[in-house]
Amino acid sequence: MRVDRRTTLKWLAAAMAAAHAGCTSKEKYLGDEIPAAPGQLLGTAALPAKVGYGTDIDLMNPTVPWPRTMTEAQLRTASALCDLIVPEDERSPAASAVGVPDFIDEWVSAPYPAQQSDRETILGGLEWLEQQSRDRFGSGFADAEDRQQAELLDRMASSDVAKQVEFFERFRFITVGAFYTTEEGMKDVGYIGNVAIHSEYPGPSDEAMTHLAGVLEQLGLQLPA
Amino acid sequence: MQERYDAVVVGSGAGGAMAAWVLASKGLRVLMLEAGRHYDPYKETPMFARNRDAPLRGTGTPDKEFGYYDATIDGGWQVPGEPYASAPGSEFMWWRSRMLGGRTNHWARNSFRMGPYDFKPYSRDGLGVDWPIEYEDLAPWYDKTETVVGVYGRNDGLDNHPDSSPGVLHKPPAPRVGELLIQAACNELNIPCVPARRAVLTRPIGNRSACFYATSCGRGCAIGAAFQTTTSLIPMALATGNLTIVTDAMVYEVRLNDAGKADGVGYVDKKTGKHEAAFGRSVVLAASAGETARILLNSKSESFPDGAANSSGQVGRNLMDTVGAAVSAQFPVLENRPVYNEDGAMGMHVYIPFWLYKEQARGELDFPRSYHYEFGADGRGEPGMGIGHVAGFAGGYGSKLKEDMRRYYGSFLDFVCRGEMIPNANSRCEIDPDNKDTWGIPTLRFHFKWSEHELNMVRHFQAATKEIIERLGGKLQSGDVAPEQAISKGGQIIHEVGTTRMGDDPDTSVTNQYGQSWDIKNLFVTDGGVFASKAHKNPTLTIMALSWRSSDYLAEQLGKRNL
Repeated sequence: MRVDRRTTLKWLAAAMAAAHAGCTSKEKYLGDEIPAAPGQLLGTAALPAKVGYGTDIDLMNPTVPWPRTMTEAQLRTASALCDLIVPEDERSPAASAVGVPDFIDEWVSAPYPAQQSDRETILGGLEWLEQQSRDRFGSGFADAEDRQQAELLDRMASSDVAKQVEFFERFRFITVGAFYTTEEGMKDVGYIGNVAIHSEYPGPSDEAMTHLAGVLEQLGLQLPA
Repeated sequence: MQERYDAVVVGSGAGGAMAAWVLASKGLRVLMLEAGRHYDPYKETPMFARNRDAPLRGTGTPDKEFGYYDATIDGGWQVPGEPYASAPGSEFMWWRSRMLGGRTNHWARNSFRMGPYDFKPYSRDGLGVDWPIEYEDLAPWYDKTETVVGVYGRNDGLDNHPDSSPGVLHKPPAPRVGELLIQAACNELNIPCVPARRAVLTRPIGNRSACFYATSCGRGCAIGAAFQTTTSLIPMALATGNLTIVTDAMVYEVRLNDAGKADGVGYVDKKTGKHEAAFGRSVVLAASAGETARILLNSKSESFPDGAANSSGQVGRNLMDTVGAAVSAQFPVLENRPVYNEDGAMGMHVYIPFWLYKEQARGELDFPRSYHYEFGADGRGEPGMGIGHVAGFAGGYGSKLKEDMRRYYGSFLDFVCRGEMIPNANSRCEIDPDNKDTWGIPTLRFHFKWSEHELNMVRHFQAATKEIIERLGGKLQSGDVAPEQAISKGGQIIHEVGTTRMGDDPDTSVTNQYGQSWDIKNLFVTDGGVFASKAHKNPTLTIMALSWRSSDYLAEQLGKRNL
């Protein structure tokens, strides 16, 4: 589906419903700030392909057969958001530095039902986020100050509006999955497998066994023979 | 004039490849028909390929349900052009794989022997039926099968979990941290937690290498360590010079001659769409419990108006699947633990076999059959999209989230129930009067219902699991729901068996103890269809042991010209 007026209106309706339900001042604030007739601030994504990779694939040469569909503006907003979720630190780079925005585009452009459902959530959510930022701060989300981006994210993450939480959680799920499957992400989280061992499987390292022994002692359990 | 083979074998999975190899080894001329395409695991297995190099990071889709790299071709819960249906009020899931080697290319390799109680369940609790054989009848073939297949495990002398003969088993891999943790709790709780048995080599057999402890078995194994027929039984059978394989051959009927014997099968050549026939002195059906029943039910004739080999009316009945349920938990004691390579043999290294047979015999349990535990304890396996759930557990975002990911990754353990279903009148398959596949072959319609026996078993599993989790200070994450919600859907565990069950009585069974049709002497079934009961043990090893035993008998009978 396109993120069209219909989708944006669904988002609007969800926020309005929450506002009318009374809830907290936070929801009221967010609901009130949504203008009556939202426009296409981030542009309209291209239509996704209808056909996937099929049931008999050349597994030795994996390729993504469907084209990306997000607009430049959507990608910019997504990039800013995924870097808030996975920022650079001393152990690993930020999400955008290892291609996560492009993967989000790959994901929401896929023709399968689960990804199409995420497409509605994510593209609708990005549009909504952009609108919130412009209304509140007078600039688009990607160009807002860090503090302002964080403020919006905090409100969204802890919102009582199901749609906002769903957007945040799905976006985080995809961002985290995309990031920790990269070389940099696997290294960060401590995955060191996928290496052929031409001897018996050595089992846990000495360090891991020492840690386990401590844990078992704490639990009052014996280390298995 | 087409060649007339000694045996036409339908299917190239566990039951078919074993039959083909045994028969070809005895000098018999064998034709194997496979409904899917040719498959070469040496050239087509994406060993070591990273999730990030696959579309959607390898996530499962309707095209590839178990993930992009899964060794399933033209298969899954739906096969293009080959539909099936569930009757109103039922939901049955039917996994097929249209490729040489069938589902053996991707299976979990869990390989447990059925035990003495498993062959005589009716005698034990008055439910279902007994098998026409007892454990001792099959034990020599279990030894032979495990020797050829290669199974790691340990003889623990446990009730109803038979030991293998000395020297048969391969040394099991060392347990991982999560497995040791579970083992420690089980030792205190008097629950056995012992080395698992999996069809994975830890010492080489011929040109099949020992496991090198990397790259998922579900993708298939190009070094031959994880057993699949395409790196073992099929090449071995071809090496005899007595096996011919025709792929893309969708068998739809058993052909009968005027004497009422099978003279071959009819099939559609999927490449041309033409109907063809293959001829043999005997026919061996090993197309899977569902597909074999479908072929028989579609083989209608004057002498068999309800389908070939179905004078008992039992073809398609007694459909069983394994009882599945799962509970997962997070363990604070596993947070921030030291990094090491936790891939191991990819599947589980230890498991919990059923341990309450005595209590059950004394009537202390509210369910009559048994289950075992499987574990997902390689918590530090290669990240896939599922790692997003760790972020969901941690909550938040930013630098704190990155710290939490390091903290929580590898702190989750999955406890999985695999239990025995008792056959019931509500679980069966039949020909769908309203539907045909793309080749014009009438399709199957499934009926399926669990009974209170299975639901009570799941409830017991949940309670026992909570006890283990609590002892380890774990926090339940999922699976703590009513048994009706927790139990798997019929077929979902992909252990469907029973549709052409063996027995002692031609009125209540389809075959005798050798998988030989009571009605058609030269027609044999060597897939899971012949199971008279569905022990909690994963069926593939038993399918192969039975297939070997049946094939020995078939060869002997052919030699004596008794067929």
